[in-house]
Amino acid sequence: MPEAVGRPQAEGTSEALVVDGTVREALPNALFRVELASGSKGAVIAHVAGDSSLLRLRPGDQVVVELAAYDTGRGRVVRRR
Amino acid sequence: MSVQKSWSELQTMALACRIVVETLDLLEAAAQPGVTTKQLDRVAREAIVKAGARPAFLGYRDYPATLCISVNEEIVHGIPGPKKLREGDIVGLDLGCIVDGFYGDAARTVAVGRASAEAERLMQVTREALFAGIEMCHPGKRVGDIGHAVQTHAESFGYSVVKDFVGHGIGTSLHEEPQVPNYGPAGRRERLVPGMCLAIEPMVNVGRPEVEVLADGWTAVTRDGSLSAHFELSIAVTEFGPWILSDPYPYAGEEAANA
Repeated sequence: MPEAVGRPQAEGTSEALVVDGTVREALPNALFRVELASGSKGAVIAHVAGDSSLLRLRPGDQVVVELAAYDTGRGRVVRRR
Repeated sequence: MSVQKSWSELQTMALACRIVVETLDLLEAAAQPGVTTKQLDRVAREAIVKAGARPAFLGYRDYPATLCISVNEEIVHGIPGPKKLREGDIVGLDLGCIVDGFYGDAARTVAVGRASAEAERLMQVTREALFAGIEMCHPGKRVGDIGHAVQTHAESFGYSVVKDFVGHGIGTSLHEEPQVPNYGPAGRRERLVPGMCLAIEPMVNVGRPEVEVLADGWTAVTRDGSLSAHFELSIAVTEFGPWILSDPYPYAGEEAANA
């Protein structure tokens, strides 16, 4: 039986929490303040993932945000909604 | 640094390895179309217990079975279940047992009925890669020489070697130092010394080397879905070269010289 090295990860076991939100404010450095639909958490500061069209987000845009498991005050915008 | 085994310890290791390989012979004959992987697991378990040994994998990090069965694109660590073998499948059988506290570990990939020419070639090349690695096991060589020989052979046929799993030292536990990767530069890693026992086990894919582990936490498959084969033997490094522990001691008359 071979010994496993590294950490091959099973699909769908990613640690990130995915939630809906609304852009409130465009900040410098391509960061955005995003208000989460789930409410209580309030707003997170999010950077954008991948697609450069996301750089043109404006206040009011509906987006999907991934939150880091270790710091829920930060996130990344995955796509528009 | 791996623990060096004494001559009498090597005898026990050899017994454990022989039980494993004889059980693999049984399993190879039993791997027919329509047989479930669970049934093969039972055959393996009964044979090992009957031989007076204990299954090595059962309960290892909560692994639930005696045998690992990895069909087609499954690389290693497939858990036996209700899946039925079909004509043309290639089936990796990986088995270990414990005798008096010492472990034996071996694996081979077999065809159910007749396999495709590509599958036959993959199995042949993987087996040759294993022996290319074993031939490196002389005192003074290094663990990196083994991986280099395995990788060079497999890749010369356009195949890739799996890097997320490695061979290992073996003895009073299933996995001991050193790790034995199936890749990498020659001349690196630990120096081989007489009395060292290693499980060498190339895992070779037809396509790309990337691995995906399924949600059961064990079964490793090729990410691109290509066929994969796996062969493994446990060897001891002796003063005269490798001893495949499931075979009779090959350097007859020279036992007296420190194993």
